[in-house]
Amino acid sequence: MFVLNGAGVLNVGAMSVPYPLYAILGTALWGPFATGVVASSNSLVAAGPMITKINFSKKSLVIASMGQALLAFIIQLCLLLVLFLYYRVTPSPAILMLPLLIVPLMLLTLGLGFVLSILNGVVRDVANVLPLLVTFLLFLTQVLYAKPMTGVLATLSRYNVLYYLVSVPRDLVLFGTSSFFKGFFLSSVVAFFVFLLFLAVFHLTETRVAERV
Amino acid sequence: MRYGVTDICRNTCGLSSRSHLLRKDEFWALKDVSFEVTQGEALGLIGANGSGKSTVLKLLNGIFWPDIGKVAVRGKVGALIEVGAGFHPMLTGRENVYLNGAILGMTKAEVNEKFDDIVEFAEIGDFLDTPVKYYSSGMFVKLGFAVAAHCDPDVLLVDEVLAVGDIAFRRKCFKRLKEFRDENVTCIIVSHDINTIRKNTDRVVLLNEGGMACVGSPEDAISEYLYSVSARSATMRDIETYPYDSQYFGPHSADLEVDRVALLGENLCEQDAFVTGDALTLKIEYTAKKKIEDPSFNLTFFTGDNEICTECFSKHDGYRIDKLEGRGSVIFKTDSLPFYPGVYRVRLGIDEGFVPLGAIENAASFKVRGGQKAGKGMLFMRHSWDIEL
Repeated sequence: MFVLNGAGVLNVGAMSVPYPLYAILGTALWGPFATGVVASSNSLVAAGPMITKINFSKKSLVIASMGQALLAFIIQLCLLLVLFLYYRVTPSPAILMLPLLIVPLMLLTLGLGFVLSILNGVVRDVANVLPLLVTFLLFLTQVLYAKPMTGVLATLSRYNVLYYLVSVPRDLVLFGTSSFFKGFFLSSVVAFFVFLLFLAVFHLTETRVAERV
Repeated sequence: MRYGVTDICRNTCGLSSRSHLLRKDEFWALKDVSFEVTQGEALGLIGANGSGKSTVLKLLNGIFWPDIGKVAVRGKVGALIEVGAGFHPMLTGRENVYLNGAILGMTKAEVNEKFDDIVEFAEIGDFLDTPVKYYSSGMFVKLGFAVAAHCDPDVLLVDEVLAVGDIAFRRKCFKRLKEFRDENVTCIIVSHDINTIRKNTDRVVLLNEGGMACVGSPEDAISEYLYSVSARSATMRDIETYPYDSQYFGPHSADLEVDRVALLGENLCEQDAFVTGDALTLKIEYTAKKKIEDPSFNLTFFTGDNEICTECFSKHDGYRIDKLEGRGSVIFKTDSLPFYPGVYRVRLGIDEGFVPLGAIENAASFKVRGGQKAGKGMLFMRHSWDIEL
């Protein structure tokens, strides 16, 4: 990506910070979502033998799978600090708020994880399709490039919850401010409701799914 | 898959899953199974593979929802459905004790308190801090059993897991089970091991193809089970379809024809079901086309599994028949059938002198149900008692 950008093959848009920093911070923030959704969707099926032998809350399996995503995020953050040093860019103090800033993203991931783990219990192909879908979403969400001002993608991004949840924390870390606070707030509300809704769905159906994993 | 999606959608919307209706390719794993177990009672569940025993335990444990009906359990349920389920192979024995304890509903403080007992029970000693993936299978199940055996349930569900480990450990498991019973813990035990059921339960439910075939004392249910198992086994089907004329013909077999073999009960009525200790008469009607000198009759009794139970030779019994000519009957009698519940087949062989004349593989077949005389063991011995002063 960096090479393509340097060679002018790929135009990632103009930005005031080094592109690698922008892209890697973006993927680091995208990571918990991507890893979390895939891991949690597999969590019920992977624990299948245990589910049919012991009666316990299956929610713990989905929540535990998020741990994997969080750990990966923390490791990426450490590497990112090295990158900040290398480019001699000082992150804004908002970097300390990062754990808080990714809470909405984590709630959205967990919510989707709940429903996807159930779906995967019934339709096993969900787990196969999901990584592809997540990659597609990665490009749709402008994690690796700046948001275009015009075109279909620009319109899509206006309604893309993930875009706000990833780009606002990134803007805050890199520039100390962001022009999408409203979007971030609304997206957080959506994420919270998605979480509540799918938690309820999971709660109502977790025993029914035990028959099928 | 479609059923799964439908069920989940209906559950989510708070609608009933209409699970009382069977859809295409579905069947009832359990139907009309209803029983009550009082506190401190030990109930055994027996039945052939696929009869629904484990499903009953899973319903009681709340792993599955019943589609129709209700499961009511009072108290904390401890389930030993599979020992070592939930163990993480990369974690050490010590870590797995805490992990498994948590999964089984124990708090960390509880595990701390019982930790030494668990380790002592599991007999893993020095390997406590070794990842369980390096454990032998015996150590693995011992540790699993030890954790589950210390979770202080009010209702204990045991699924065929008592037979783990070596003999010493098995003994320990049974001792622990007895302690549970002494502590007034309600036990529900699933086992194929008849002796486990006999020794450890007060009442037994026999399941057959998802239904309740019998509820009663361990002895009654076990004898019914043994009977049904042998009636279900493939060899029983073989017995029933065994061609009557599947005969071995000796060089002179055309000289003698067996017209009929009849099984008669106490009052000499024909019957095919007996009770252990009953009188049994076997009547062999023959037609000898030519004079047969020095004939002898041999009866071999086979179990449903085609194992020989016993053989009776008229010659060995010292019963001599001079000759057979024309039509007649040979009668074999026992006044006390020594067989335990099951299905049996009789093979009839006829010799002329020392030359085999012919044999009928399935001359007769009969069922035996356990009666009052049936106890434990392999055969019922006819006996009497006396006292001398």
